[in-house]
Amino acid sequence: MSRALAIEIDRAEGALLRLLGTIERRGFALIGLQTDAADNGGLSVRLLLDGERDPQVLCRQLQRLIDVREVRLLPDAVEETPETFQATWLQG
Amino acid sequence: MDGSKEQSTKVRTGAQWLLQALEAEGCDLMFGYPGGAIMPVYDALVDSPIRHILVRHEQGAALAADGYARASGKVGVCLATSGPGATNLLTGIANAYLDSIPMVAITGQVQTLVMGTDAFQEVDVFGMSLPVVKHSYVVRRAEDVYATVREAFAIARSGRPGPVLIDLPKDVAVASAPARAPHYRTCAPTADEPEALMRARALLAQAQRPLLYVGGGVGMADAEWALRSLMRSTGLPAVYTLKGLGAVDPDAPFNLGMLGMHGNPAANHAVQECDLLIVAGARFDDRATGKLATFAPNAKVLHLDIDAAEIGKLRRADVGLGGKLAEQLPALAQPLHITAWQQHCRAMKTQHAERYDAPGDGVFAPALLRQLSEAGGGRLIVASDVGQHQMWVAQHWRVNRSAAHLSSGGLGTMGFGLPAAIGAQLAKPDARVICVSGDGSIMMNIQELATLKRYGIPVKIVLLDNSSLGMVRQWQELFFAERYSEVDLSDNPDFAELARAFGIPAFTVERRDQVADAIARLLGDEGPLLCHVKIDPRANVWPLVPPGKSNAEMMGCAA
Repeated sequence: MSRALAIEIDRAEGALLRLLGTIERRGFALIGLQTDAADNGGLSVRLLLDGERDPQVLCRQLQRLIDVREVRLLPDAVEETPETFQATWLQG
Repeated sequence: MDGSKEQSTKVRTGAQWLLQALEAEGCDLMFGYPGGAIMPVYDALVDSPIRHILVRHEQGAALAADGYARASGKVGVCLATSGPGATNLLTGIANAYLDSIPMVAITGQVQTLVMGTDAFQEVDVFGMSLPVVKHSYVVRRAEDVYATVREAFAIARSGRPGPVLIDLPKDVAVASAPARAPHYRTCAPTADEPEALMRARALLAQAQRPLLYVGGGVGMADAEWALRSLMRSTGLPAVYTLKGLGAVDPDAPFNLGMLGMHGNPAANHAVQECDLLIVAGARFDDRATGKLATFAPNAKVLHLDIDAAEIGKLRRADVGLGGKLAEQLPALAQPLHITAWQQHCRAMKTQHAERYDAPGDGVFAPALLRQLSEAGGGRLIVASDVGQHQMWVAQHWRVNRSAAHLSSGGLGTMGFGLPAAIGAQLAKPDARVICVSGDGSIMMNIQELATLKRYGIPVKIVLLDNSSLGMVRQWQELFFAERYSEVDLSDNPDFAELARAFGIPAFTVERRDQVADAIARLLGDEGPLLCHVKIDPRANVWPLVPPGKSNAEMMGCAA
């Protein structure tokens, strides 16, 4: 089942690698990825993930990474696809 | 330099700032091995008050720093050069990661100008270590060195502890600059909601058969006293994990022993029968739970862990609290009406008490370990290696504090014992540190006998020699139809002679009637010593939950 996450991280060496590595190692496949500059030297990352494990647990696993500022699990009322993911991203 | 005054106009080299920061963190001892890219740090070390212990392999440095941290509760520090020095640290870093040990590992790196060009002794240790560190840095400016080290210590010891890697390019170590102030980012636990604590208390009040499942987090959170106090005031029965060993009072009437694959049947049966499992600083590791789907099948779960990411990872919690155990455990205290459950637990404990009446005149390792730990009393720290002897230590060594039992629980690192014992002995000079090893494990870091000799570190090694890789041999016997594959070590060196070649006194024990004298020597001699104990190669660790089976299906014990 796919879930969308909105994450803000510090723009530090390895921050994005660590984030993506944790996601894959914890059993989720990455099917969509968008990044953009955020305020205060941060990086805004929007992800679409596929996985059978509890996404709430993944959020806590990401939250404990030192470079991660905020993790939001986006509502799953509508099942996201790569197309809708792309569309909502472009709408900001 | 303290607080807001930490930003300094003083100019020093990156290497000098590194050592300044270590000093400011209270580091008085580190373990390492020099080499090309880390040479500026070794040069600065000549003028530093920090004591450096030269190990003989970088893995020994990381594991000694780990042992130092476990025994002292402080952050362990290890140092290595780039390339092979750095990769040799990785096993020790992973070991610290899986057991949540606070460590700062410092690696030299090639100059920034040639990083990424496959330069001599260049590896991307930052990238290689990403999955096994709590955090890591490549320091690219001399002005960042001091702040980075301070931040690394804060991260390593805060919340759930873990290892932090600092990769320091050679040109950054050589360059001079003032130091910027640290910017601390840690993951401190949030305070528990009072409402959640009330729900936790209510779960306990409703339970008929509540049981504590105690992990390594209790000792690391300095919550042993809180746990023991809760057990005394409520009479709650408890089981513990390998890393939780020592947190529960060994004499507590409802201490049911270790759970899991080689646990006490009383502990495993109690878990299967309980209706509330209070998980304190533990993480449902597969060696503890057996087949997870059948683990504690009738229990609600109250999960207490400073790392909120552990709650719900493997088993759904009815109530999960991410705060501090030393505050949560006392908050659970209340009168309980569980007399029937207590009596049942006590009966199981009596029924499954350990027995030491093995026939024959060969050395029975469980009895030796029990006698040695009882004779040594509260001064002993045991550092175990990995294999059958590790499980015998867990089952039979009498431990009264979790910091007095050092074992590679998560990674299961053969070769852990000797360097960890070195670290523990240097952290606690007044303790008598015993390394219990096997003939397989000892050879994984045998070179550290030279470290014992060089510094006169009085670690006592009890080497249980069954001329085989015993745990693998046991599994091949039981689960691979006795098809023995690459487990025979009958051509081992003469370990007593080997120790003597390193300048370490040694003796060999082959019969049960020699054990009392051996124990007297192990507890009486002042310097380093190796006691080589020959045991029956056919001896197995019992009981045993077969892999993938429920903890209710233990082999090798009375029903």
